[in-house]
Amino acid sequence: MTPFRFWLPVLLLCLVQPAYCQTSPSFGSEWSFARYLADKDAVDEAGFVLRHIDQKRLTTPQRDSLVYLRGWLAYGAKSLDSASQYLLRVSETSSFYVKSQYFGAYCLAFDHHRDSARAVMQYLPAPDSTLSELKAFQQAGLALLQRQYTRYDSLRQQFNYTSYALSAEETRLDAYRRGLSAEKRRSPVLAGMLSAVVPGLGKIYAGKPKQGIAAFLPVLTLGLLTWEGYRKDGPTSLRFLGFGSLFTVFYAGNIWGSAVSVKVRRDEFNRGYDNKILFDMHIPLRNLLNR
Amino acid sequence: MTTRFCLICTFLCGICSIGKGQIIAGDSLVASGQYVAARVEYERALFGSTEPDAVFAASVGKARCLKQQGLYAPAVTFLNGQLQSNLPDSLLYQLRYEQVLCAYLAGQFENTLSLVERLPYLHPDVPPVPMLLAVRVLALNELQRWPAADTAYHELAALVTANTLLPNPYRELPRLKSEKKAQWLSTFIPGAGQLYAGRPGEAALSILIQSAGLYFGIASYINSYYLSAWGIGAGLFGSFHAGGVRRAEVLVRQRNQQRANAFNAQLRQQVVELIK
Repeated sequence: MTPFRFWLPVLLLCLVQPAYCQTSPSFGSEWSFARYLADKDAVDEAGFVLRHIDQKRLTTPQRDSLVYLRGWLAYGAKSLDSASQYLLRVSETSSFYVKSQYFGAYCLAFDHHRDSARAVMQYLPAPDSTLSELKAFQQAGLALLQRQYTRYDSLRQQFNYTSYALSAEETRLDAYRRGLSAEKRRSPVLAGMLSAVVPGLGKIYAGKPKQGIAAFLPVLTLGLLTWEGYRKDGPTSLRFLGFGSLFTVFYAGNIWGSAVSVKVRRDEFNRGYDNKILFDMHIPLRNLLNR
Repeated sequence: MTTRFCLICTFLCGICSIGKGQIIAGDSLVASGQYVAARVEYERALFGSTEPDAVFAASVGKARCLKQQGLYAPAVTFLNGQLQSNLPDSLLYQLRYEQVLCAYLAGQFENTLSLVERLPYLHPDVPPVPMLLAVRVLALNELQRWPAADTAYHELAALVTANTLLPNPYRELPRLKSEKKAQWLSTFIPGAGQLYAGRPGEAALSILIQSAGLYFGIASYINSYYLSAWGIGAGLFGSFHAGGVRRAEVLVRQRNQQRANAFNAQLRQQVVELIK
C-alpha cells in the first residue's frame, strides 16, 4: 500500500504537467493546429506557429508537410514567389507532392517565370488519365502564355473535352488561341506616319479612337492659331512664334504618342489574354487538387 | 475503485486545464505587448477546448488583441465565426457586444446598427445597455441620420439619468449646404459657388481667371483675331468655368463633412459624459 501511496502523486503529476505546460508540443499537433488556423484564414497566426517549429529535429515527411503548408499559406496570401519556392521543395514521397508540384508550377507561370514553369511542368506527376490531361492542359496554357502556338497545337491533341473539370476550360483555351492568332499586328511606324498626315489618326489606327479625337482637337486649335498669327502679324511676330512653337511640340508629341500607343494597345491586348488564360489554368487545379 | 476515480478525475482536470493554461499564457503575452503570440495562444485554446467558458475567454482574448493592433474589421470577422450556437446565451450576448464595439471602431456604421438592432431579438431577456445605446447614437451620427440619432440619444438619456432637463444637443444641427445650389451658383455667377462654400480666396481666383479668359476672348474678337478669341479666350473661360462648377461642389462637400465631424466630435464627448 505504501508504494502505491508514493507513486500515485507522481503519476498524477506526470499526467497533469504536460497537458498544463505544453512545453514541447509534437510536430503533428503543431502542424494540425497550423492547418486549422490556415483553414480559418488566420494566416498570421498559422505563419507564426510554423515559423516556431524547430526544423532540425524533423524527419523528411515532417519537413515536407511543413514546407507544403508554408507554401500553401504563401499562396493564400498571394506571395507567389515564396509559394512556388516552398511548394516545389516538397519531396516525391510526400502525400502533398502532386498538389505542390502543380500549384508550384502555376505560381511560377503566374509570376512571369515562364521558362522555369515550363521546366517544372515537363516533370509534373500524372498517375492517372485525369491528371495526365491536366498536365497537358497546364502545359498548353503555358504555351499560350509564351505565344508558342505550334507547341499549343501539339499539346491540345491530348484534350478530351469530356472531363467535367476540364472541358469548359479546354474549349476556352482553344478560343483564346484563335483570338491571339487573329490579332492584327499594327506597325508603330505606320501609326506615327498616319498621325503626321492627320493628327490623331495614328491613335485611331492603334485602336484608341477616343484618344485620337482628343489628340486631334488641341493640335488643330494650335495650328489655326499659328496660321492666324502668321496671316495677321507676319512670320516674325511673337504670336506666330509662340503658337508655332506650341503647335510643333504638340504635333511632334502626337506622332511619338501614336507610335507608343501601338505598343500600349498591344500590351493591353496581351495582358487581357494572359489574365484569361491564367484564370482558366487555375480553375481545374482548384477543382481537382484542392481537396 | 478509488484509484480509478482519481485517475479519471486527473485526466479530466488535465484536459480542462489545457484551454485555461493557454488563456493564461495568452493573457500574459498581451500584458507584455506580444499580440500575435497571444492570438496564437488564444487560438490554441479554441483549437483544443470545447468548454464554453474557455471558448468564450479565448474568443474575447483574441478579439481584444486584434483591437489592440487596430485590426477592427478582422476582429468583427473573427467574432462572427465564434458565434456558435453551443455557447450559453449569456456568453453569446457578450461576444455580440464585443462585435458591436469592433464594428463601430472599424467604421462599419451600417453593420454596427444592424448588429445592435439584432440584439433585442436574439436576447429578448437582456435589458438595454447604456454602452450599446451610446454606440447606436454615435453610429447614427456618423451616418448623419440626425432625427434617428436624436431619438436614440433621448432613449440613452432616459436610461442613464432621471434628469429630464438635460440640454438637447440636436436642437442645433449642423447647417449643411447644398452641393446642387453651389453648382448652380457657379454656373451662372463665376466664383459664387466657392463663396457659398465659404472660400472667398478661391472665389476671387476663380473670378480672376475666368474674367481674364473672357477679356482675352473679347479683346481678340474686337481686334479681329477670331481664332484666338475662340481658341484661347473661349477655351480658357470654358475650361475654368466648368472646373469652377466642379470645384464648388467639392468645396461644399468638404465643408459639410467638416461641420458634421465637428458636431459629431462634440456629441461624442457628451455621449461619453452621459454613460460615464
